[in-house]
Amino acid sequence: MMVGYLLMLISSIFFLGIVNRIKSIASGRKGSSVLQPFRDVLKLFKKGAVYSETSSLLFRVAPTVAIVAVLTSMLVVPFAGGNAVFSFSGDFVFFAYMLALGRFTMIIAALDTGSSFEGMGANRETLYGLLVEPAFFVMMGVLAMITGLTSFTEIFKAFNTIGDYSLLLGLLFSYLVILIAMVENSRLPVDDPKTHLELTMVHEVMILDNSGFDLGLIHLTTFLKFGLYSMILTNLLVPPTWAIGYQVVCFTAVVAVFSVLVGLLESFRARNKMGKNPPYLLTLTALGLLGLIVALLIIQKIA
Amino acid sequence: MNIVIIVLFGVTLMYVSVAERFDTYVKLVAIQGILLFFLAFSELSGSKDMASLVFVVTETLVFKAIAVPLLLRSIIKKMRVAKVHTKALPAFYSLLLVLFAMGVSVVLADMLKIGRIEKTFMIAALFTVFTGLILVIAHKKIFPHLVGFLVLENGVFMFSLAVGSEMPFLVNSGILLDLFASVLILGLFASRIGKRLNDPNVEELSTLKD
Repeated sequence: MMVGYLLMLISSIFFLGIVNRIKSIASGRKGSSVLQPFRDVLKLFKKGAVYSETSSLLFRVAPTVAIVAVLTSMLVVPFAGGNAVFSFSGDFVFFAYMLALGRFTMIIAALDTGSSFEGMGANRETLYGLLVEPAFFVMMGVLAMITGLTSFTEIFKAFNTIGDYSLLLGLLFSYLVILIAMVENSRLPVDDPKTHLELTMVHEVMILDNSGFDLGLIHLTTFLKFGLYSMILTNLLVPPTWAIGYQVVCFTAVVAVFSVLVGLLESFRARNKMGKNPPYLLTLTALGLLGLIVALLIIQKIA
Repeated sequence: MNIVIIVLFGVTLMYVSVAERFDTYVKLVAIQGILLFFLAFSELSGSKDMASLVFVVTETLVFKAIAVPLLLRSIIKKMRVAKVHTKALPAFYSLLLVLFAMGVSVVLADMLKIGRIEKTFMIAALFTVFTGLILVIAHKKIFPHLVGFLVLENGVFMFSLAVGSEMPFLVNSGILLDLFASVLILGLFASRIGKRLNDPNVEELSTLKD
């Protein structure tokens, strides 16, 4: 039960390190240690935070709320066909809105600073969050429809054991989850975490005022989200009936492949123009709807 | 297996509706050709008419997957323009339209209970035809129009595959339409119009007098 949770925590320590390493290898550098991003966060944790005089309490609590929201939403994600730490009917809605709550507080905090740059970032983050949400819900709706169940634990217990084409659906949705994870974590092609120009930033410009401990928390939130999405990917791809040992190996493989994929994608792809992002995000929903039709065909509602 | 190919085909349709680079269009058309080749092969391999099977399958591979994309590529080289700069509809709305078309084709295929036609094929074919039409109305440039016609005609081909095992003649006539559209339009375009106008805009045609 707690194994999945611990695995998510452990994988999130390495995830971005692997991504950065792949990026540096792809650009012909040796690159820093896989643990470097985590070390940076630890260094930030030793520092204090500087707060602007114009910002209020909201700004101070936002990073904490965001990380707690992610940690809480991780509780409902199961592992290896077992139970999640807690699960109830409709917990994927809870999951989605815990993540949304985290994003919401960050947006409010960004607005709270009164900086026009951060307002712009908040604006963009809201739009992208808004556009990516239907994709997730279509996906979860489809999974709920074909299994007839409504909680993460039950859905992933039942998924992969029904029908011949659930592998196809699993692959389609894995692709979707990877893209959703990229948007949620403000990575390429929607946002570039390495950009130095405020006007082209999305997530980075929102957290310009955060420093020290708070910044560490924000970075850690991103790490955790990657661990979280890796777990969802594993659940979609690996049959729940396999033994726990294989499941752990599979999870490790998924984390490795996912992070290498992110690294390669970020090495060879440019950031979208801002105006191209809405159609790009709508493509995610389109893929979800395609999944819906596949699911309808599988359960023979329209065949 | 068919459903995997059809889903991949659907994905290419969505990407073709938001694509901007001519290069991407060519790649997507080539991928569609390859997918149709596999689809034709798996769908017709059960039929007894060996000659028609060989003809249809080789024709699909040679024309749809190789010849037409090569021809398109040579056109791109002549045009010296790499991407679509103006559209009649923003990509966001054309994608919305394509999504709507997908819903409509599912409902239509479900409503039209035509016997002996596989519904999966019916949905895919309708969706492809609609996407081709949307491509044509959403663009102002001739090249995406051309791609739109090719997509449309892939849809017609898919229709013929849906009844393929029973009606090889329809398949063949679908292929003839294919040859007609690709050879005639492309030939005309590459040899006559392409040299005069780089990146031709169809709106300019409206200024022509009788």
